[in-house]
Amino acid sequence: MKVPVVCPYCGVGCRLYIERTPSGYRLDYADDVPGIPNENGSLCPKGNAVLDLLSKDRLRKPLKAKEEGKFVEVSWDEAIREVTERLREIAKDDPNGLMFFGSAKTYNEPNYLVQKLARMLGTNNIDHCARLCHSSTVAGLKAVFGAGAMTNTYRDIERADVIMIWGHNYAETHPVGFRYVIKAKERGAKVIVVDPRYTRTAWFSDIFLQPYPGTDIALANGLMHVIIKHGLYDEEFVERRTVGFQELKKTVEKYTPERVEEITGVPAELIEEAAVTFAKAENAVVTWAMGLTQSVHGYDNVRAVATLIAITGHIGKPGNGASPMRGQNNVQGACDLGVLPNVFPGYQAVTDEEKRRFFEEFWGVELSGEVGLTTVEATHEALKGRLKAYYIVGENPVISEANSRNVVKALRKLEFLVVQDIFPTETVRLADIFLPATSMLENDGSLTNTERRVQWSFKALKPPGEARPDWWIVSEVGKALGFTGNGPKGFGYRSAEDVLREINACTPQYRGITPERLKSNLAGIHWPCPSEEHPGTSLLYTESFLTPDGRAHLASVEHRPPAETPDDEYPLILTTTRYVGHFHTLTMTGRSELLRKRWREPFLEVNPSDARRFGLEDNGWVLIETRRGRYVARVKVTKAVKPGVVAIPWHWGANVLTNDALDPVSKIPDTKACACRVKPVGEAEARRILEELRAEGVVA
Amino acid sequence: MSGILIDPGKCIACRACEVACEREHGRSFITVFEFESSAVPLNCRHCEKAPCIDACPTGALFRDKDGAVMVDVKKCIGCDMCLLACPFGIPEIAGKVMVKCDLCPERRAEGKLPLCVQTCPTGALSYVEPNEFSAGRRKAYAERLALRRAENAPGL
Ligand code: SF4
Ligand code: SF4
Ligand code: SF4
Repeated sequence: MKVPVVCPYCGVGCRLYIERTPSGYRLDYADDVPGIPNENGSLCPKGNAVLDLLSKDRLRKPLKAKEEGKFVEVSWDEAIREVTERLREIAKDDPNGLMFFGSAKTYNEPNYLVQKLARMLGTNNIDHCARLCHSSTVAGLKAVFGAGAMTNTYRDIERADVIMIWGHNYAETHPVGFRYVIKAKERGAKVIVVDPRYTRTAWFSDIFLQPYPGTDIALANGLMHVIIKHGLYDEEFVERRTVGFQELKKTVEKYTPERVEEITGVPAELIEEAAVTFAKAENAVVTWAMGLTQSVHGYDNVRAVATLIAITGHIGKPGNGASPMRGQNNVQGACDLGVLPNVFPGYQAVTDEEKRRFFEEFWGVELSGEVGLTTVEATHEALKGRLKAYYIVGENPVISEANSRNVVKALRKLEFLVVQDIFPTETVRLADIFLPATSMLENDGSLTNTERRVQWSFKALKPPGEARPDWWIVSEVGKALGFTGNGPKGFGYRSAEDVLREINACTPQYRGITPERLKSNLAGIHWPCPSEEHPGTSLLYTESFLTPDGRAHLASVEHRPPAETPDDEYPLILTTTRYVGHFHTLTMTGRSELLRKRWREPFLEVNPSDARRFGLEDNGWVLIETRRGRYVARVKVTKAVKPGVVAIPWHWGANVLTNDALDPVSKIPDTKACACRVKPVGEAEARRILEELRAEGVVA
Repeated sequence: MSGILIDPGKCIACRACEVACEREHGRSFITVFEFESSAVPLNCRHCEKAPCIDACPTGALFRDKDGAVMVDVKKCIGCDMCLLACPFGIPEIAGKVMVKCDLCPERRAEGKLPLCVQTCPTGALSYVEPNEFSAGRRKAYAERLALRRAENAPGL
């Protein structure tokens, strides 16, 4: 029997089958399901390697630490008892001494439960890794359009005449989604790529803009300057559906292409050409990701790009829209279900009296109306000793967060750390209690891809040892903490379906997305889906926006430099990247021989002129230093980066270098641009430094 | 016969084709070469006039019913002649015998696409009759031209 699952990696949310055979498990392509995001069932290399998750070093039993990194096996009963006792003790004095992390790598159901648990314990200190990728998108789009999600679908990208890909190596991070760009191009669509690196995505560009990292606002303003000057904006749309145009006009007036060229390094003629091409397109889509969002002004970056979309009227109709590309397969779902410190499920603000009363009644407890801590803030609070305990589900902040040495320090400072995961990660090493979860393929549930498509994934593999589904573990903890009420008032769930039904009851966008409907429709349903009869909504804002007045709120924002700019001591700008064959912190892909042998190690990309300037040789070793840490890698001399810019994939732990300065609104760290210096080192020295970093527990 | 046609213009160097092939065959018979601004995947062309078949002294190379160029390992003596003859450098000697792409015969028997084609995220690989492919291309090109005209035509 072939079991339909959803790929456990990126936000495209590809479907595939897993089949049990006499000799083990086989993967098969879902080439027979119409309407899924990966049409014809194709998969990228990660999708092809999912069965390598059956790796031998899965954690099979609950563990308790005797000292750091030294564990003994304990029973589930004992593990749950320990967790609840410690949490209860800390919550008794001050629930805000607790911090919870949900996970973009687990289903909607456990995510809903983690935030419910945090909130029932009296704190809104609940967050997840979307903080580090798209919190600025969520906040920025909400400010301009009223909600923080992709406004259209992959099909709309296929239908566009101009596709602007901004700060996003689409071909490498979402390979299967990129086929829609290629299909559009075959039809004659033009592709504009904005990236500090000449990426594989840029190979497909008709116009390539290469700004310095962190100068996106200036570029967006430059484009809008040209569009307004030539009268190429959509006057009717601006008049009828937006507010703030006069102010915008004043703000962008000073961003002449010549001035923007000075700031961004993008030639003025190219800015003109891109602006005219984008504005004149019948249908146009903008996609973006971390290159735009991971910045101290990520919120304003997103608002500027959303404003560009709004004044050209490229939204609310087929073939148009704003497409932030989510990295993990369930970032969207984790956000939707309230794994954020400021909102309940369905983006209902914790500060909103009425919404809070609804949930107080629904869950039968008193709730805090005070916005909780974000992940990066939690790190700072832990360092100050104000935060006592973390409960982390399926995340590896030691590798994924900016300035990761600080994160290790913070985790060490805690009184109590619980980690619920599938593999021994760098973060697990620091845990007091470890709870073995099942991988996504070993239990079932719903998840929501980048285009708001909710899909059901079925259980295909047998979990190893005593590993348990995330929803089960959180429910056990909930019950043991005394939340034994009936229905939504407790944690007495018998299945993921039970939890989804509760989600249907309290999350307006998911009201009609029932387990029954999802199971009988493998292609899934796009939210908002307000009732069981509703077909789901693939295109948002056809009539009005979700802002209080129904109009798009154009943002007038000024260019500011990144938190750190090059100087004499640290003369280069460092930016971080990814490889197509790896996923985030290597927890999963690093265990696949098929992937590991092809993407073996990180390379620092250096322009030939900088290589000469700093004496670096192709394939030789380099020491990279920033104000926060040092790291070594091999060198790749390439014109893909401009002089003055170097780039490195972060999978192996390059976040020891990056800057954790925060965007004041979205609290996203400035991971994409910081000042660094480089110098050649010998191989022996390089290996010694790597060993040191490994011993510190900050590299993979 | 159908063959795997490669359109390097669509390849993103993701190497999904390699990973899929290696997963099923233990090693990959398709290789992706990456350059600064493009990538070229390459596998056996199953040539119409295959020089490897002509060069093989023992008759180890043959054509199956779909026209795929196959190796009979029992007859292969590992002499390297095919390897010298192939203009693309496809044959490899593994252990003592030649190995190369066999166009996934079990999948073909079930009416499925070869793995690399099935998995390719961008459609850079297709399994088609060459004439069918060129006919499709001609039509697509003509449509693009027509579309451009229609766009400029007033009142349409
Ligand atoms: S594109 Fe994303 S969802 Fe699809 S196979 Fe690759 S990693 Fe999985
Ligand atoms: S799977 Fe397709 S796009 Fe990826 S490397 Fe192979 S041919 Fe190129
Ligand atoms: S091995 Fe070389 S010569 Fe023989 S069929 Fe394949 S591509 Fe042609």
